[in-house]
Amino acid sequence: MNLPLRKELRSPLRYADYSLGLVAVVLSAIGVALNYSSTWRILEFNGQDPATFAKRQVLFVVIGIVVMLAAAFLDYRLYRDFANSAYLVVMLALVGVLFFGVERNGARAWYELPGQTFQIQPAEFAKVAVIVALAAFVANQGGHLRLVTLSNAYLMLAVPLGLIYLQPDLGTMLVFVAIGMGVLLVAGAQLKHIFVTSLIGVVVVVAMFNSDNLGGPALLRQTQEQRLTAFLDPGFDLLGASYNINQSQIAIGAGGLRGQGWLQGTQTNLNLVPEQETDFIFTALGEEFGFVGVSLLLLLYAYMLARIWFIARASNDLFGAFACVGALSMLTFQIFQNIGMTMGIMPITGIPLPFLSHGGSSTVVAFGLIGLVINVSARRHLT
Amino acid sequence: MNENLSRRLAFLGVLIIALFAALVTRAWYLQVLVAEEFSDQAVRNHVEIIVTQPTRGRILDRHGVVLADNIRTGIVAVDRSRYAPGQIDYVLEQLSQLLDIPALVLASRLDDKQTHPLAEKVVASGLDEYGLLRVAEKSLPGVEAKWAMSRTYPQHEIGAHVVGYVGAMSPGQQERLLKVGYLPSERVGKSGIEQIFEDDLHGKPGRTELEVDGTGRVHRVISEVPAEPGADIFVSIDADLQAATESYLRQGLIAARKTVSEDSGFFYPSIGGAAVVMDLRNGDVLAMASHPTFDPNWLVGGLTTAEYQSVFENPYAPGALNNRAIQGQYSPGSVFKLITALAGLEARLISPRAAYYDIGYFKIPDKYGCTGRCTFYNADKAPLGVVDLSSAITRSSDAYFYKVAHDLYWIRGEEQWAIQDMARLLGFASQSGVQLPFEKSGRIGDEDLKRRLFEANPEAYNPYGESSQWLPGDNINTGIGQGFVSATPVQLANAYATFANGGTLFSPNIVERVVSRSAEQFGESVIEFNPRIQRIVEFPEGSGVVREGLHGVASKSRRGTAWRAFDGYDSSGYAVAGKTGTAQAEGRNPVLQRKKEDSAVFIAWAPQHDPRYVVAVVMEEAGFGGEAAAPVARRIFEALRAYEQRWPDPQVAFIPPQPECPEIPEALRGHKAFIGYVPEGCPWGIEVPRANTPEDVDGDGIPDVEERD
Repeated sequence: MNLPLRKELRSPLRYADYSLGLVAVVLSAIGVALNYSSTWRILEFNGQDPATFAKRQVLFVVIGIVVMLAAAFLDYRLYRDFANSAYLVVMLALVGVLFFGVERNGARAWYELPGQTFQIQPAEFAKVAVIVALAAFVANQGGHLRLVTLSNAYLMLAVPLGLIYLQPDLGTMLVFVAIGMGVLLVAGAQLKHIFVTSLIGVVVVVAMFNSDNLGGPALLRQTQEQRLTAFLDPGFDLLGASYNINQSQIAIGAGGLRGQGWLQGTQTNLNLVPEQETDFIFTALGEEFGFVGVSLLLLLYAYMLARIWFIARASNDLFGAFACVGALSMLTFQIFQNIGMTMGIMPITGIPLPFLSHGGSSTVVAFGLIGLVINVSARRHLT
Repeated sequence: MNENLSRRLAFLGVLIIALFAALVTRAWYLQVLVAEEFSDQAVRNHVEIIVTQPTRGRILDRHGVVLADNIRTGIVAVDRSRYAPGQIDYVLEQLSQLLDIPALVLASRLDDKQTHPLAEKVVASGLDEYGLLRVAEKSLPGVEAKWAMSRTYPQHEIGAHVVGYVGAMSPGQQERLLKVGYLPSERVGKSGIEQIFEDDLHGKPGRTELEVDGTGRVHRVISEVPAEPGADIFVSIDADLQAATESYLRQGLIAARKTVSEDSGFFYPSIGGAAVVMDLRNGDVLAMASHPTFDPNWLVGGLTTAEYQSVFENPYAPGALNNRAIQGQYSPGSVFKLITALAGLEARLISPRAAYYDIGYFKIPDKYGCTGRCTFYNADKAPLGVVDLSSAITRSSDAYFYKVAHDLYWIRGEEQWAIQDMARLLGFASQSGVQLPFEKSGRIGDEDLKRRLFEANPEAYNPYGESSQWLPGDNINTGIGQGFVSATPVQLANAYATFANGGTLFSPNIVERVVSRSAEQFGESVIEFNPRIQRIVEFPEGSGVVREGLHGVASKSRRGTAWRAFDGYDSSGYAVAGKTGTAQAEGRNPVLQRKKEDSAVFIAWAPQHDPRYVVAVVMEEAGFGGEAAAPVARRIFEALRAYEQRWPDPQVAFIPPQPECPEIPEALRGHKAFIGYVPEGCPWGIEVPRANTPEDVDGDGIPDVEERD
């Protein structure tokens, strides 16, 4: 402890990984551009401001950047103390949304702010809360998870999973599973435990699919079941569930190597890909910027994930490392699942693409997580 | 940081790298490897193509009377894909009540296999707006009541065989036509002018490309090509004359059914026939009738199998859809004697004025060592006494032409086939080239044909295992138009027209012109059929005598075979020249189950000395040419004389044959030694009266030949 005093006196932010923040801003700038290109034509057709969605997204990004800076500033170790209360608050919010939320696309997942222009999706914030709470919980176990502890951790995941199942929102549930798997794996859960629980998970999912055939109530909505079936058999019901898969693959494929150029993609312009500014935003990039654009985007994401990975490794306390792993798992899963879905290698679930998809809650949460990771990176030298 | 943690982190890192690799690979596959397929799909996705059906061209007669037109009609179409199997019954029940059509009929129209599988099934047509409203207000799912364009034939059966009809495209046509922009529900020409001028009549479909978004809203019009209406076809038919011809033919056939055949003692069945009227100066077909006939309007909406059978498979009106004028192949009978006579003259075997004693039959002289049939009788075995070429034609002496054909047989060398050659020159055994589909060519018998027929189908042609060599008897039969000769009514009319006009063989024109209705060329003739000369035939010296013989056919004083039919006929300036024929038909009548009766044939032109029109009438199993067919021709000529007054002067393409005159020293010109060597019309030839410049020695203005009557 020769130098720590001097180091502590200095601002820890000089060690912060600013490149991570920069990448996040660049990604969200791309997101704004794609938001514009996938909505302007239809908005113009309807006589509205063609930049409506882009402007909204700019607002979300600005809020996100503020949140990121705030999250980076305060020592993340303080979060540990608030982890459980934050978890509790978000879970209450998830309960509340079932009663007071508004329903869209068959899911009751949003709180509506006065004025009806903005909605808040508590499940997005639950992701952060769960990451922090789970990281704090397993950090206390010191790198080894016994079965009892593991069960407690599963319980922490089970509560939000159950609440989100009631909304229902299959995609977001999967994100929680990914977060849990990532954090618990790195935190020292034994492989045989993970294997057995995975098996149970598979059995449960299959049972959910067939619950109506087995004589019970139908546990999955028909649309969800159809979407997953369509993933397994893309020829199935072209205008129904497979429509999304087909249209998004056509858009990406039509982009070719160099793309059609910004604002030039017909699939994108003419609203042929449903939900394009949100879940299918990647198709706009694929069509208008081609394989070159796709590769660049994946490189940016790869850089971001790599930085998080290194920060997790370099972190000198377990809570920081596990929080980074949680963020890493979440972002990885959302990126892979979302892009994989648009390219037809993953089933269709409503998961936003971090930084790109239109949406306040997901953008703010993604920036917040990056802020948290920067926070960890800044304080990696502290004891 | 313990080692365990960093090992687990490394595992996570590898997993992430693997996932990213999967994404890049997939993107490479979609955007580079199979990108082309997707860009095609992307274009199809946002471009909606609307094909508009062009208005079909009309078919009009030479004066503009519309024979085929389009009307707006209310139709009821059913989309059966909207119903689970067996669930359509409810709708059919409802429609049956609304439309007053039995549900079974509706069901059979729905099952129609003729139309394209993608085409809507039209179960009812011809509705007025109240009918449409009655169906529409029921709002039956999958049932559409709407206006559509429909083909209509305002003259009904008049000219039906010439005009043809439209119907659903056959599976074979679908493949080709759908590629060139036809809609699956479109009707295409199935016969007649409708078929052969399908491309001109159809027009070009319009095509509008719209840019649409995912919800089907139109953002802009990418391109727009308006439909180009089909061209109008003007046929050379005169609708009034056509109606008269059809009517006279039908009345003639009905009259023949009331006469008793001397051969069998039964009434003549007189089931069908054909009549052709041509302008022999340019080959225009003025009327072309075929019986039994049909109303093409029946076929437009598509008939169910039962309806089709009841109308077109009626054994008492067989082959109503066939145009007998170009598809019926009949033994010409005695009308073929014109060809035999010309062949005999060509071979210099006939001396036109030489007397021949017709004893009622012709026996092949013993010196030729006859095998098989050796004695050939006149039709009624009656001896005609002394005849020359002229009266042999007028009175139709079989014996005279048996002898000519027999003698021709024994000329070894080129001229042995003089009859066959002359027949081919006059258009036998080859299609006339009239602009109608499915024309038959008939045949003319010779050695090759006989052998081919015997070998191809010995059971039908040679049941007794006779020699397949060409025997004298074969040539003798051919000489009076029996045996191995058959011709279509159009061919017969055309052969006589060629003889009458002095030797110009036309390809008959039944279409005058094709008039565009497109925006750029509106009203312009895009195709004009000028008279099409196939060849100029030179007739041998002495053909004037043949002509004289034909002039007598309607003459009572010259005992012409058709004089009774023309008794009381006003021949002033419109006298006819022609030939009767009574042809034995081979085989048995399939309905009556007895031997077929004779076909009646009559071909004539008028006026005698200024030939303008030729009329050919063929009536199946209707008796004697002079008794059954000639009266029909007479009434057609009477109609022609009346209608002709209203017609503008036709485009005359009659080209007098220009003889090739051999070089003869001036001193020798006019010497009678050159008779037969110098063609008629040569300046230094022997002055032989030109056939169509009537001999009028006494100068009273009436041709001498007519005066003799």
